[in-house]
Amino acid sequence: MAGQEDPVQREIHQDWANREYIELITSSIKKIADFLNSFDMSCRSRLATLNEKLTALERRIEYIEARVTKGETLT
Amino acid sequence: MPLVTRNIEPRHLCRQKLPRVRNELECVTNIDLANVIRQLGSLSKNAEDIFGELFTQAKTFASRVSSLAERVDRLQVKVTQLDPKEEEVSLQGINTRKAFRSSTIQDQKLFDRDSLPVPILETYSTCDTPPPLNNLTPYRDDGKEALKFYTNPSYFFDLWKEKMLQDTKDIMKEKRKHRKEKKDNPNRGNVNPRKIKTRKEEWEKMKMGQEFVESKEKLGLSGYSPALVYQNGSIGSVENVDAGSYPPPPQADIASSPSPSFSEDNLPPPPAEFSYPADNQRGSVLAAPKRSSVVSPSHPPPAPPLGSPPGPKPGFASPPAPPPPPPLGIPPPPPAMGFGSPETPLPPSPASFPPHPDFAAPPPPPPPPAADYPTLPPPPMSQPAGGVPPPPPPPPPPGPPPLPFSGGDGQPAVPPPPISDATKPKSSLPAVSDARSDLLSAIRQGFQLRRVEEQREQEKHDVVGNDVATILSRRIAVEYSDSEDDSSEFDEDDWSD
Repeated sequence: MAGQEDPVQREIHQDWANREYIELITSSIKKIADFLNSFDMSCRSRLATLNEKLTALERRIEYIEARVTKGETLT
Repeated sequence: MPLVTRNIEPRHLCRQKLPRVRNELECVTNIDLANVIRQLGSLSKNAEDIFGELFTQAKTFASRVSSLAERVDRLQVKVTQLDPKEEEVSLQGINTRKAFRSSTIQDQKLFDRDSLPVPILETYSTCDTPPPLNNLTPYRDDGKEALKFYTNPSYFFDLWKEKMLQDTKDIMKEKRKHRKEKKDNPNRGNVNPRKIKTRKEEWEKMKMGQEFVESKEKLGLSGYSPALVYQNGSIGSVENVDAGSYPPPPQADIASSPSPSFSEDNLPPPPAEFSYPADNQRGSVLAAPKRSSVVSPSHPPPAPPLGSPPGPKPGFASPPAPPPPPPLGIPPPPPAMGFGSPETPLPPSPASFPPHPDFAAPPPPPPPPAADYPTLPPPPMSQPAGGVPPPPPPPPPPGPPPLPFSGGDGQPAVPPPPISDATKPKSSLPAVSDARSDLLSAIRQGFQLRRVEEQREQEKHDVVGNDVATILSRRIAVEYSDSEDDSSEFDEDDWSD
């Protein structure tokens, strides 16, 4: 009995260690995935703000160009 | 149901049947590690996708910024060359020069199949494609795609487009009639003089603020008009829109996002556009419940309620022009039918539908009186067929149909036999027993004429631009020219007399 316990025990210990290792890996994977998603979202929102500013700038420039050109290239 | 955009693939590390090994715990560990590696693979694929999308967006912005920088440089040079004393400002210049209009490009097709992110497109591609019903298209007589009867992603857009085009036509007709009436009585003066509109009332109304002006149709606050317009289906107040539509250019300010088109607020918005790839799954989900009611939006108005979809009954309710979708009440096949009644539904039908020979497929047993109408031509019969959405398999040629058709024809005619007789517009149909061949040839001719007309109409329709913005803008233009005509007439009345 004692002889049997030892290898089984060893195996079970080993198994527990493996599982902990795998758990570590998978939780890191989840953290990476979370990070990627939040990075994506924040990047998109910043790009959207940039887009807004760009559009506003473009409209202003269009208007200024129309004001400045003395009727040369009025479309 | 929301779809997950990016999924990391082997979701469960070890939920599978284990093979027979001596040491199961080790086996499980090894399987887990292998799946972890697969998960890392899919994670890196998703990461690459994410960064790719962000990169393309950033690239477009970079190009926009560089072009803006160039424009700013050019402007800078130009402005330094400006000299306020040297510039001449002529009165004619102010009036004759074209006023500044900022570019009003509206974003369209935002939620199209093309703008779908790639991972979701891949999810869609794992679904089943719709059945290849388009193989049956060459066997159809009316030239419609057979798959459209099963699933039609552009259904709602087509419906909306028809409605808009119809509305523009109606408005133009009214205008023409109005103009004609005015031209016809130039010397009679105003029989019904317009109520004298004074500017004072308008200013009073606008006193409290533009938002509180009561619209023509009493839509209430213009802020709520979009919601209410859905119920009315009509365009909101013209006054509101007029005042708001031409803001002076210097006010093109930065912070406020310009309301791109008030017009879009006021009109019932077009449905979301779907592109139409061969394997569109969404369309089938949407189309399934709706299929039961209408076959093709291009013929909404004139369709008499046609047979309910699964039933093999030939729906042919007598009143010629009820709305297509709801009242698909088909009268149960009555044992006996009146003679005159089948004729009455006929004339409107050729006017509305091209032949649907596929209707011939589910004919009910022809009741005996129906045998008297062997010569009734296929086209009217095909009309009820149009209402049967999942079309029966390859439609037989229009030759054989007359006999089964006459069977179907008889049934729905019974319910209002006296009324239909009374309201029969086409008096050209002779009595049944006499000159059946003349009847047949006359109707056939009539039918063919209409078919050509319809083709011409269809060609005309194809010329029209197919996107929301052009259609809406045309409709708005017609509305505005209409109101401008009215107001110009008002002005003329003001000055005349």
